[in-house]
Amino acid sequence: MKKRVTLTFPPKAVQTPVTYRLARDFDVAANIIRAQVAPDQVGRLVVELAGDMDQLDAAIEWMRTQDITVSSTGRELIIDEESCVHCGLCTGICPTGALSLDRETFRLNFARPLCIVCEQCIPTCPLQAISTTL
Amino acid sequence: MQTIPEINAKISRHEARVWTVEQLKARVREVGVTKAAGEVDVITSGTFEPMESSGAIINLGPTDPPIKIRQCWLEGVLAYSGFGAVDLYLGATQVPEEPEPGRDWGGGHVIEALIAGRPVRLRALGQGTDCYPRTVLETTISRDTINQFYLYNPRNAYQNFLVGVNGGEKTLYTYLGPLQPNLGNAVYSNPGALSPLLNDPDLESVGIGTRIFLGGGVGYVAWEGTQHFPLQKRLPNHTPLGPAATLALVGDARQMSSKWVRGCYFRQYGPSLMLGVGIPFPVTQEAVVAHCAVEDEDLVAPVVDFSIPRRVRPTFGMVNYAQLKSGSLTIDGKKVRVAPLASLYFSRQVAEELKAWIEQGKFLLTEPVAPLPRDRNFIAQEPWSPTYTTS
Repeated sequence: MKKRVTLTFPPKAVQTPVTYRLARDFDVAANIIRAQVAPDQVGRLVVELAGDMDQLDAAIEWMRTQDITVSSTGRELIIDEESCVHCGLCTGICPTGALSLDRETFRLNFARPLCIVCEQCIPTCPLQAISTTL
Repeated sequence: MQTIPEINAKISRHEARVWTVEQLKARVREVGVTKAAGEVDVITSGTFEPMESSGAIINLGPTDPPIKIRQCWLEGVLAYSGFGAVDLYLGATQVPEEPEPGRDWGGGHVIEALIAGRPVRLRALGQGTDCYPRTVLETTISRDTINQFYLYNPRNAYQNFLVGVNGGEKTLYTYLGPLQPNLGNAVYSNPGALSPLLNDPDLESVGIGTRIFLGGGVGYVAWEGTQHFPLQKRLPNHTPLGPAATLALVGDARQMSSKWVRGCYFRQYGPSLMLGVGIPFPVTQEAVVAHCAVEDEDLVAPVVDFSIPRRVRPTFGMVNYAQLKSGSLTIDGKKVRVAPLASLYFSRQVAEELKAWIEQGKFLLTEPVAPLPRDRNFIAQEPWSPTYTTS
């Protein structure tokens, strides 16, 4: 199975070769979706973990013993209401229909559960109104 | 039926009956043109869309010692200065000379910043003459530290436009935003039945001098717009099959609001300006109502393939605005997602805002000073024109 998680590292854990240990010790493939890591700073990593369900749980348990915060709430889109003009250009790009225009009011609707955070809308928005939490 | 001075008298007494074009269309559906025409004095229309042929005139006031500016940058964006000593024209699509990674901006954003009252960095180089000895000026300006600050937009309020698609193999980055390959999406940029000039197809109400809503303030129709093409082919209801009439608009930017004047940026294309424009139609005769009753089903635009980079691009035929607003379209048997680029939500708000001004007696209607030309043809530029070859 697959699980998308956000990892937050304290500065001392940045030195741990996490994805290598996940593969070697737990047979878990970690596909890095997004990373923000620098020496002596809190690092953040969004990874999609793929492997056996028990092994995934064990891997997450091990990461927690390394003082890594494991959160299953991943990145999310943020739409800045002040900047958005509801032009709807993003709705033609969004592959899942998470972004749509209300058929009556023509206001932009964001159905968060449908969003796969592919982020194609971010550079499409002419008002730079869309960003993510990471 | 009634004259504009009579309607203005009603507005001044707060007795004018004012409807948005959408309210008018709904009423005509119920009771027909003739009855509706007897129930309304003014109809308001609005649009909010990117209008890249826009810009701001600025006069800085003389410096001490004086300068005759020959080059000038506002937040790093070049403003035209080849006229009066401290007169500037800042165009909406001008890009900064030294781009900063991750900061996509241009002339439109600088105009928005000034309208919002934010400070703007200015750097200028002067020629250095006996009467204008200064050669360098570095300062910060805001809308309150300059003399004139008005928008003069050579081409706004397009009467209809087109629908962009991409029949090619790779994504195209255009003034309509990204067009995905293999007909991945379609974009239209005109708000259809809400659009001011589609409700006045023959330019019978709007003329030079017409007072309008421009960017949240009061503006005027200054002239025909550039590329004004009233002779575009038309449907029996007189609405055009593609881009047609345009307006040059002018208005005091200090009255405007950054809600209705927004810098915008199209990736790998460049900056532009999104602008709210509202036009009132005095109901002086029944024909005004008949034209304003036009519905999205009765308005069409051509679906144009941008993968052929020529002036005349192949089209996939015409589509009506009801279909466009439904959010999907079938082209060559393929279902294609359709997105607007004009904000229909803000377009409606412009018409509502203008309606409120008129109801409150704050905005009176004008007779055109002169009509807009209805016979302009569309001339394309031929670089190999035989007229100018010598032999």
